[in-house]
Amino acid sequence: MNKKLVSALLCGAMVLGCVSPVAVQAEEEGVKIALVAKSAGNAFFEIAAASFVETAEAEGSTVDIIYPEEATADAQIKSLDNLISQDYDVICISANDENALQAKLEEAMDAGIKVVSFDSAVNSDSRQVFVNQAGVTEVAQALMDAVYDICDGEGQWAILSATSQATNQNAWIDAMKEIMESDEKYADLELVEVAYGDDESQKSTDQTEALVTNYPDLKCICAPTTVGIAAAAKYLQDNDCTCKLTGLGLPSEMLEYTGDGDDYSCPYFYLWDMQGLGTLAAYTSIAIANEEITGAEGETFTAGDLGDFEIVAASDGGTEIILGLPLEFNPENVEEYAELY
Amino acid sequence: MENKSLMKKITGSREALLAVILILMIVIVTIINPAFFTPKSISNLVKNNAVTMVMALGMLCVMLVGGIDISITSTLALAGMAIGMLIKYEYISSTVLAFLIAIAIGIACGLVVGLVISRADVPPIIATMGFMYVYRAMAYLISNGGEWASASALGTFKDFGTSKFLGLNCVVWVVIVCYVIFFFFMKWTRTGRKIYAVGSNPEAAEVSGINVRNIKLMVYTIMGCLAGLAGALQVAVYASAMPNMQKGGEMDVIAACVIGGVSMSGGRGSVVGALLGALILATIAKALPLIPFFDQLWLNTIKGILILVVVVMNVILQRTADNNALKRREM
Amino acid sequence: MAGKSGRSINNVPENPIKHMLLSWEGILVVLFIAVNIFCIWFSEFYNVSSVLRQMPVYLAEVFLMLTMAFILVLGEIDISVGSIVCLSATISCIVCNSGAPFIIVILTALAVGTVCGAINGLILTNFPELPPMIVTLATQIIFRGIAEIVLGSGGSISLSNTAGFKAIAGKVGKVPYILFLVLILGVIAAIILGKSTFGRKVYAIGTNRVTAHYSGIHVQKIRFIIYTVMGTISGLCALFIVSSSYGANTTTGEGFEMDAIAMAVFGGISSTGGKGNIAGGIIAAFIIVCLRIGLGQRNVHSQVILLIIGLLLVLAVALPNIVSQIQKAAKVKKS
Repeated sequence: MNKKLVSALLCGAMVLGCVSPVAVQAEEEGVKIALVAKSAGNAFFEIAAASFVETAEAEGSTVDIIYPEEATADAQIKSLDNLISQDYDVICISANDENALQAKLEEAMDAGIKVVSFDSAVNSDSRQVFVNQAGVTEVAQALMDAVYDICDGEGQWAILSATSQATNQNAWIDAMKEIMESDEKYADLELVEVAYGDDESQKSTDQTEALVTNYPDLKCICAPTTVGIAAAAKYLQDNDCTCKLTGLGLPSEMLEYTGDGDDYSCPYFYLWDMQGLGTLAAYTSIAIANEEITGAEGETFTAGDLGDFEIVAASDGGTEIILGLPLEFNPENVEEYAELY
Repeated sequence: MENKSLMKKITGSREALLAVILILMIVIVTIINPAFFTPKSISNLVKNNAVTMVMALGMLCVMLVGGIDISITSTLALAGMAIGMLIKYEYISSTVLAFLIAIAIGIACGLVVGLVISRADVPPIIATMGFMYVYRAMAYLISNGGEWASASALGTFKDFGTSKFLGLNCVVWVVIVCYVIFFFFMKWTRTGRKIYAVGSNPEAAEVSGINVRNIKLMVYTIMGCLAGLAGALQVAVYASAMPNMQKGGEMDVIAACVIGGVSMSGGRGSVVGALLGALILATIAKALPLIPFFDQLWLNTIKGILILVVVVMNVILQRTADNNALKRREM
Repeated sequence: MAGKSGRSINNVPENPIKHMLLSWEGILVVLFIAVNIFCIWFSEFYNVSSVLRQMPVYLAEVFLMLTMAFILVLGEIDISVGSIVCLSATISCIVCNSGAPFIIVILTALAVGTVCGAINGLILTNFPELPPMIVTLATQIIFRGIAEIVLGSGGSISLSNTAGFKAIAGKVGKVPYILFLVLILGVIAAIILGKSTFGRKVYAIGTNRVTAHYSGIHVQKIRFIIYTVMGTISGLCALFIVSSSYGANTTTGEGFEMDAIAMAVFGGISSTGGKGNIAGGIIAAFIIVCLRIGLGQRNVHSQVILLIIGLLLVLAVALPNIVSQIQKAAKVKKS
């Protein structure tokens, strides 16, 4: 029996070996782009990816979306290794860790591949340009104003974040703290705690419950993460808490919880234009590959219907392109946007 | 005298000891933060840990026959994602039907795992590790490459997580019913006792006419069934289905069982033990953020140390109990 | 006979060459060739230089497989290794950033690993009743937890001076140093497990712990040594992981334990103890690495790759069992 198994395997190998590579490599004119996700199964990313692909294909380019095994830097390093072996013109990446990919991305750039990061940045040495969904200060300012508004200018509030090492969330939280200290307007607001729900529903629920029980006078929770805000919204709404919620979330996830009055836990929340982000990242990648831009400060280019964009200096020393201001989702428009994402 | 016999009873029975540990923990946490011990808070605790608690029952059966199953949270994700997508695209709308489909998927997954383990003699840890990858990948694939089924897409199904029956949350009822059924099943039915028999001594069980292979097949199927049910519960409780839900949660389930005194080599363990183990873990997870002087960063380390302390204490007390028994015999 | 072959201890070979071909290792070699042929056909970019370039990240996990094999032969399991990698990568990055010479950094990584391994060993040998899985599950949470505390909020650290780590990621021509190191350590591990008295004792414990104890083997001492060395090797793995990412974060090393176990089991090392050898493990490791690189180069969805590896794992263990069951049934029929 064992013998049969071996011979079957050998035969299989031979057949595979004989069918010579059917290299139907059509002559491609357009740019070859690799779009690297944080991991598979992220609805947030999929929206941007869909419009990225649509835009790039309309421009005659080809896009492959790469999903690392897990949402870790290690897994992205393996994915990048695979990409460097191939013949891509541009890698467009949403990074799991700011610094850990530097070695691989530098290797890619040495191999002549351009690197654009979007959604979540890599450090300035490992990219040509970063496509920023909305400036860090702008997001922080919008959230801070929402908190101020919901708390009526005074009282306790808390933050429910993703993991303690989430790059984006930490940047926003730091910026929010800065805004709070620098402006007298926020002097009566007290940030009682920054809790971490690890982007897991179960842990986020535990953390929300702890916040509400520890601080009975808590007026507002700000959750700048999609899983966290949905879990917190559900907990607060199911338990008829007086504490309200704002933050960054997906309209489709938040539709049930958004509304005025006591029946709803979230009066309004924010997110940027995810489809616009995908489109802008696609135009940027193509422009960089065609050497219309190099990623230097001051250059301008046209991103289709989105209009003209200028490359500006980023706070980390590199350069970035800022999409625009965060969008506000309120009871009036949330239903309309929930259809989209 | 009475005091002494009580002490003996406590050190003699794992369950009593665990109950004491659990009560101590609850008392300490309640003193630090009185908000911990209110009916609503306890109901929320059960609801938020329903998934782990339900799966702990299946894991109890699996561990009783000396096996282990680390594919359960992948089964959970597959079942949960499947009904999430079915409801989202309006193929089904009935809550009962959704639960039945999730359970059916769970049973099918468990059956395959059970067949591989019982018929092809694959060590359980390896077989379930393989299926952990397989089922998780399937959950990703049926999610259309990463779609979520969110609250608004889940229609009336998500109401199950918030509706009440006789003053108690439905999810809590499901957990209670599961535990009651299993308590009777494991203690007073022939099949339940057969599981214990296979676990304590497979050869003796075989000789006494028990079909060991079928019992093994059955426990993995039960495990799959409960994982499927847990998948539906997960979607109902959090009103959202994602392909990566509960990743790594199988370790919590195993830890709950082991803390509850279920032996990993089989034959020893009880439904009450599994319940207490799951509750202790749930209390740790819920209590740590409530205790003000802990930095959030310490949460995982403390959880790990507590698991270690509980299992080591279990062993030490078991040793003293054994020693006492030995001494009594000598006299 | 124990340990000579992955699958059958009792077979006395009539023909050594035939025996070699039919052993699990023989099948693995054939499979290795088949996988490579498949990958060359499947991916136009699959060639010696691209494989050698992509290999180092995967090879770091092969280190873990080498010692994991010993633990599996004991009939035990260690799921804390990924967290040990994380902790020791974190500490060595901190030491490196403080300006210490690189040799100190290497020693720190190994020392941190060794201490973690020794902690596992101490608990397991002092409380032999405790199942290794649950103890290492607890230490898995603890070690990563300590790394989280050390890293503080922000949760990641990057090297300010990469010279030393760049050096160990170096190459001789196209061949990375790490490949030589894997092969050297592989040969050493194979000799220890296959030829030395220590190895014999490990098999004896894995086959029957009680008998081993009564025949005068220091069971607990051997277990302690193996778990400690597992820690040391995790430290070594951490060094090479840092050399690819120039830093560490709280997710470093996540899931490595499962990868290491999968490689070993695919190589015919039974998790029930007493069976298997290092050669099988190494060939299996290279099969998995080549398959991952080949499929990855054509951007096959990572979940599909995991699905294939999961199925391979189950089939690798199930098929030989089914085959032998059928053979047995056929024999019964004949007689």
